[in-house]
Amino acid sequence: MCDVQEATKQLLDVNLHENWRANQVTESGPRSESEHLQVTIGATVPTGFEQTAADEVREKLGSSCKISKDRGKIYFDISVESLAQVHCLRSVDNLFVVVKEFKDYQFKETKEEVLKDFEELAGKLPWSDPLKVWKINTSFKKKRTKRKKINQNSGREKIDNGQGDKTVEKEDKKGFTKNTLDSHILDYYENPAIKEEISTLVGDDLASSKDEKDEKEETHPKVLKFRVTCNRAGEKHCFSSNEAARDFGGAVQDYFKWKADMTNFDVEVLLNIHDNEIVVGIALTEESLHRRNITHFGPTTLRSTLAYGMLRLCAPQPTDIIVDPMCGTGAIPIEGATEWSNCYHIAGDNNPLAVNRAANNISSLLTKSQIKESKVSWSLPIDAVQWDICNLPLRTGSVDIIVTDMPFGKRMGSKKRNWNLYPACLREMSRVCKPGTGRAALLTQDKKCFTKALSGMGHVWRKVHTVWVNIGGLHAAVYLLKRTPQAFVHPSEQDGERTPW
Amino acid sequence: SINPMEFNPDFLACMIPEVEWALLLEAADTLHLVEVPKGLTEGYEHNEKFLREMHQVLLEVEVLEGTLKCSESRGLFPISWGIPNMPLSDEE
Repeated sequence: MCDVQEATKQLLDVNLHENWRANQVTESGPRSESEHLQVTIGATVPTGFEQTAADEVREKLGSSCKISKDRGKIYFDISVESLAQVHCLRSVDNLFVVVKEFKDYQFKETKEEVLKDFEELAGKLPWSDPLKVWKINTSFKKKRTKRKKINQNSGREKIDNGQGDKTVEKEDKKGFTKNTLDSHILDYYENPAIKEEISTLVGDDLASSKDEKDEKEETHPKVLKFRVTCNRAGEKHCFSSNEAARDFGGAVQDYFKWKADMTNFDVEVLLNIHDNEIVVGIALTEESLHRRNITHFGPTTLRSTLAYGMLRLCAPQPTDIIVDPMCGTGAIPIEGATEWSNCYHIAGDNNPLAVNRAANNISSLLTKSQIKESKVSWSLPIDAVQWDICNLPLRTGSVDIIVTDMPFGKRMGSKKRNWNLYPACLREMSRVCKPGTGRAALLTQDKKCFTKALSGMGHVWRKVHTVWVNIGGLHAAVYLLKRTPQAFVHPSEQDGERTPW
Repeated sequence: SINPMEFNPDFLACMIPEVEWALLLEAADTLHLVEVPKGLTEGYEHNEKFLREMHQVLLEVEVLEGTLKCSESRGLFPISWGIPNMPLSDEE
């Protein structure tokens, strides 16, 4: 299903053949050492969803993960042939290959000594295998980004959130972008001004023969450009991330004779310091994977990686009906329809603009896959409807899973409105959700309101798990709820007052 | 329009018992669809022709412009560009 797998297979053949005089990675022919190349990959994931991401890695790659104390990062080992599949993971934002990990680094007392140690460190690290991985990775990335390049540059700076130019000091590392409107929320949501170009994979297969020739011509060594990004978190450090990046970078430059370039680099070296844990890595992704599905943004579009994590929390089963009753631009149902295509997804919103955007995003996705298959365009098990969350045109007990991003009351709606909206939502959702087996994953920043609204609904909703999502200073939560076996009773059938809404 | 979708018999086998046949047939009739089964038959899960017909009518046929009519409330909901607009009033 993953398009890069084909590309990688071709390239692995080309690269290995040229650079290492190795034989092809396929079964035929004697094996080379590169075939057994095992590397440790690090991935950044939305904080709070490390376990979900680890589950996906185990499911799709068969590797077990180590979840780092450095929040939002997981590590796992793979053999280099699986690199393509790693890029198909849907719960990860960014990937890097680990050069070296120090579990308990001993910092010297003074800043000068610490920085000197970093300088000396550069020459002592096992760079060669990770660089091989980087090279393979770059080759197949080139094919994909060639056509995106034009539109990419305007978008990249603004969205860049974790790997970005900022070297940040504190625990809340996913930095603020330089953008104007509510930049702290941008990190969590997408920038409305950017339209992601539909990645034109058209002609990838056709152009591959041409590209291979380019590859061959490019094998004379050219001077690589690089930069060092340092993320530092911890109370007891006597140096800043800038200083570390600068001195470490200087030593890297001397060692490799690369050229330093902050914006137009080939190699991004990562220096991640979390208390006494240091990880040196080389980035494998330049733009976050989380923008993948959405071409038409709205004011509060959810990251696809977050949407995936929320859906996965609900453990969708084949034939489940999955509804997002406040879908906005449709990030969640779209992610759902691509990854769990044996379920049926319904995206609904009360705002016609939002529903239209969702429908457009669905169409774009279909177009993308049509180009890939270059044959018949398959439809997806997903539909969009305009409706009112408080009065869903759905039968009682007909929905298996509800996943949604509830209005925070900041950019959409208001906190005051939430006081009425939340209980009404929860009530209506409990009606359509199947008693006993149904479940819901609800994201909100208005935790107080949500908790209060939930407290009156213990007979229909049971809170099973809370994931604290902390990104760029925005403290939100994903509440995983299970629908109790109790059937829904319409308020008019109850004794006593009918609750107003 | 009819948008092709990957055929998934297991999915259909689960969904089909939930179908409200009277409504389905009425809708199919309005759309002038021809190859629509009239109802459940014994052993439908293994009847490929039946499943494929159901697959088309449930998943592949898409109404781009039209109206949805609620059988209970008799409310009318417009469909535009494939999107139905269904705000309900409190009484429903």
